[in-house]
Amino acid sequence: MNEAAMKAIRVTTSVNGTSYTRAVEPRLLLSDFLRNELGLTGTHVGCEHGKCGACTVLVGGRAVRACLMFAVQAEGKSVETIEGLAAGADALHPIQRAFIDCHGLQCGFCTPGMINSTRALLAANPAPTDQEIRAGLAGNICRCTGYVNIVKAVRQAANEMRTTAAPEGVSK
Amino acid sequence: MTKSTSRWVGASLARKQDLRLVTGHGRYTDDISVPGMLHAAMLRSPHAHARIKSVDVSRARALPGVHAVLTGEDAKRYWGPLAPTIDIGMKVPTVYALATDKVYYMGEPVVAIAADTRYLAEDALEFIDVEYEVLPAVTDTEAALAPGAPLLYPEWGDNVQCAWGMSVGAVDETFARADHVFEFRLPQHRYSGASLEGRAALAHYDAYNRKLTLHCSTQAPNLVRTLVAQTFRFPEHDVQVIAPDIGGGYGNKLQADAEVIPCLLSLATGRPVKWTESRQENLLSGMQCRDYVWYLKVAVSKDGILQGLDAQVLGNVGCDGTCHAAGAGKFLVAAGYVPGPYKWHAFRVATKVAVSNKAPSGAYRGYGKDIANYPLEVAMSRMADALGLSPAEFRRRNFVGKDEFPYQQISGPVYDSGDYAQCLAKLLELVDYDEVKQRQAATQGKSAKYLGIGIASMLEPSGGAVPSCIFNSYEVATVRLMPEGGVLVLTGHQDIGQGSETTLCQVVADELGLTPDDVRVVYGDTNAVPYGLGPWSSRGATFNVSCIAEAARRLKANLFEVVANLWQCEAAGLVAADGAIVEPGGRRMTLRELGNKLHLWPGAFGVVPKHVANPFEVTHYWTSPIASWTPDELGRIRLYTTHPSGSSAIIVEVDAETGKIEVKDVAIVDDCGVIINPTIVEGQLHGGYVQGIGGALMEEFHYDERGQLWNTDLTSYLHPLATDVPDIKCDHVISPSPYTTLGTKGMGEGSTIMPCAAMVNAVEDALKPFGVRVDQLPLTPERVIRLLKTSSIWREMYEVGA
Ligand code: FES
Ligand code: FES
Repeated sequence: MNEAAMKAIRVTTSVNGTSYTRAVEPRLLLSDFLRNELGLTGTHVGCEHGKCGACTVLVGGRAVRACLMFAVQAEGKSVETIEGLAAGADALHPIQRAFIDCHGLQCGFCTPGMINSTRALLAANPAPTDQEIRAGLAGNICRCTGYVNIVKAVRQAANEMRTTAAPEGVSK
Repeated sequence: MTKSTSRWVGASLARKQDLRLVTGHGRYTDDISVPGMLHAAMLRSPHAHARIKSVDVSRARALPGVHAVLTGEDAKRYWGPLAPTIDIGMKVPTVYALATDKVYYMGEPVVAIAADTRYLAEDALEFIDVEYEVLPAVTDTEAALAPGAPLLYPEWGDNVQCAWGMSVGAVDETFARADHVFEFRLPQHRYSGASLEGRAALAHYDAYNRKLTLHCSTQAPNLVRTLVAQTFRFPEHDVQVIAPDIGGGYGNKLQADAEVIPCLLSLATGRPVKWTESRQENLLSGMQCRDYVWYLKVAVSKDGILQGLDAQVLGNVGCDGTCHAAGAGKFLVAAGYVPGPYKWHAFRVATKVAVSNKAPSGAYRGYGKDIANYPLEVAMSRMADALGLSPAEFRRRNFVGKDEFPYQQISGPVYDSGDYAQCLAKLLELVDYDEVKQRQAATQGKSAKYLGIGIASMLEPSGGAVPSCIFNSYEVATVRLMPEGGVLVLTGHQDIGQGSETTLCQVVADELGLTPDDVRVVYGDTNAVPYGLGPWSSRGATFNVSCIAEAARRLKANLFEVVANLWQCEAAGLVAADGAIVEPGGRRMTLRELGNKLHLWPGAFGVVPKHVANPFEVTHYWTSPIASWTPDELGRIRLYTTHPSGSSAIIVEVDAETGKIEVKDVAIVDDCGVIINPTIVEGQLHGGYVQGIGGALMEEFHYDERGQLWNTDLTSYLHPLATDVPDIKCDHVISPSPYTTLGTKGMGEGSTIMPCAAMVNAVEDALKPFGVRVDQLPLTPERVIRLLKTSSIWREMYEVGA
């Protein structure tokens, strides 16, 4: 056992607008930090090696894989998880609405990551073609839907977000 | 009884669970933490076949933060061998969830650890010393069956877990007299569902309550409870299994295998213990599937009519297909259904299921129906080609006709209903078959990209009722009227993403004249629901929907009696509509008023007539009117109640220079009888089909001959990504089943059954100029090039220096 790994380090990070300070092992993954330290279990872990995209969150507005980042690397950064997207059960974000409307999820395990990747995708490209949507989500595996309805959902969300005033400020 | 109005059945209602799932408020097993919880890790065998000479856990036990380190021998104090899930004339090995004297596959758990954190538990694995004596391993199916093969269970005398066969009609004569006899060898490789959420289990043994509570990611909580109780020889009524949201199952989560290990650790420590499978563990041991080879002989008349089928399937269940999971049974299903949607005069089949030094074999979308489909649908297209017929015409000539139902298939099943020819006709239209063929003719040879189209038809026998197996034959559910007029449905049927939390509300809403919002489905807790069996074998719309619709009808009949008693009118004239019980043109009582009257004001004694047994709730038992375990005069039994069907097409472009296959278009026509929720049905078609495409093009467990599994992460075990697959067109034919209450049939597996055959047919069609015959899947670019290299035409055109 690596003794250095056991020594806790203080990390302060903003998650969904709230600042948290915790003492964590340097080897603690950001995904485990969010899930186990903060209880934000909406960030899912499907592979822990950066391939499935289930753990995708936004750090400084960019989509990152929380399983490939240590919690201590989030020091001073602003992290957005799926829990921060809707203001409440009756105030869904257009992307969330679209995933429901278009049946863009089945088991829902990939969904938080998909939605966060979609946030980053639409922030960078508000009017993507289907091909661009597929390319933008190629880092997220879904085993259930065959992607057809996910693409449809992203299309709907993009349309809606273009026609309504910018509902959220995902920075580029 | 009044006929129910179909207001909600047939509606594309959005799903109830979506709100929690899109907001991150789903609750999957690993999301649950309880005070005092420890975390499990498992040391797994690096060898495929080895004797365990010694295990030294003393250093691991001494580590701070480590609470239990248990070997297979230690564990025998708490449990017995893994309980069997299936035993229909099978050899059932005595195996434990932690290896004792021997390991049978790479990745088999050998030592289990519980520690304060998962990080510590995994660290502690490094401090265990195991001495192995490596034994010769066998992984290939035919090698495992060959004389002299290394034996997994020497007491068996061979590696055959089960064998079975049947013969109907004059087989030898038919072949002797046939105009054409075609022969095929068609293998399929090993892959799996690999749901994004792997297995996960949180076990808590409370010694002061003598009760074991297990939260786990399973499709079948009641079955897991039984298996856990049997493995631990623990009173089953003292075990509670809770299955929260499930991150995908596809058949892979239908056993209590490694899930018993956290139970063991909790029994040993008295603390709750959670185990969340890593992706590596999932690929190593999270139930694998497929892996077989078929030998097919088909007799055909000169006018393209099928005469006889003589088939043999050799299956590979890895180290076991009975206790770790019920994998062995799928090869019996395959043997029974290889005749497919076609008519035959003579039929012979033999199946032999081998054990080998690979991971255990479980269920995965298809459970043998896929195995039955693949060889015959590839053969159908190849034979059509040889006979100079279009693949659609050859199929049409041989389909069971729409007027021939119920149809007694030669191998035993009775097909309930269908219109196979119409499915195929609609498919050709949907995919614009003739246009594709014209485009193919116009473009062929003009570039290295070869266009091809392949079709496959299928049967999706649904609602299997298998004797001496956890995949049994009944369903039971409760429909309960609440005092405020809402309804609870209590069911053992687990929603694993297929949306039954919503579709069952649609069914009950129609029966009781409510809206789906008035109904809640309670599932996933063995102490809350009746002993229903769960979603497998596409049985939801066959067994569970019938059961719940009838339970609701019975409840409604009881409520009508109560109201008739109150109003002093005939119950027969009443209807349930718009949230009320109504006398047409007359009085009206809302279910809320009625619920109030029954429960509170004045209460049951004042309103329930003596002859009404129970107006509060109905628990109803439903079983198949057609399944039969009594052999007929030819020894045949009937396990499946409904037979959904369909056809699909894949259009590919194969690059003859690189071997890369691009999937350009996919179309599916499905007949699952009456549709409850069209959007959900199409979602199942899309997702199932893409899983099948994954199996056809990329998903494969690479075992070498020593039994080493080389790809245990998602960078080497590939899944289809959004960029790998196209949009999918769907259409439907609706042939209601006469054997279910609402005419529904199963669905969910059919779309996974077809793609492998459709893909092979498409690739062979594209590469027809080179005469390519696919002999192995998945069709990776390397394999396609290897196939092309056998063509002298290709070598002339593309081989550098040729
Ligand atoms: S869990 Fe992070 S990419 Fe899979
Ligand atoms: S919805 Fe199940 S993995 Fe995407």
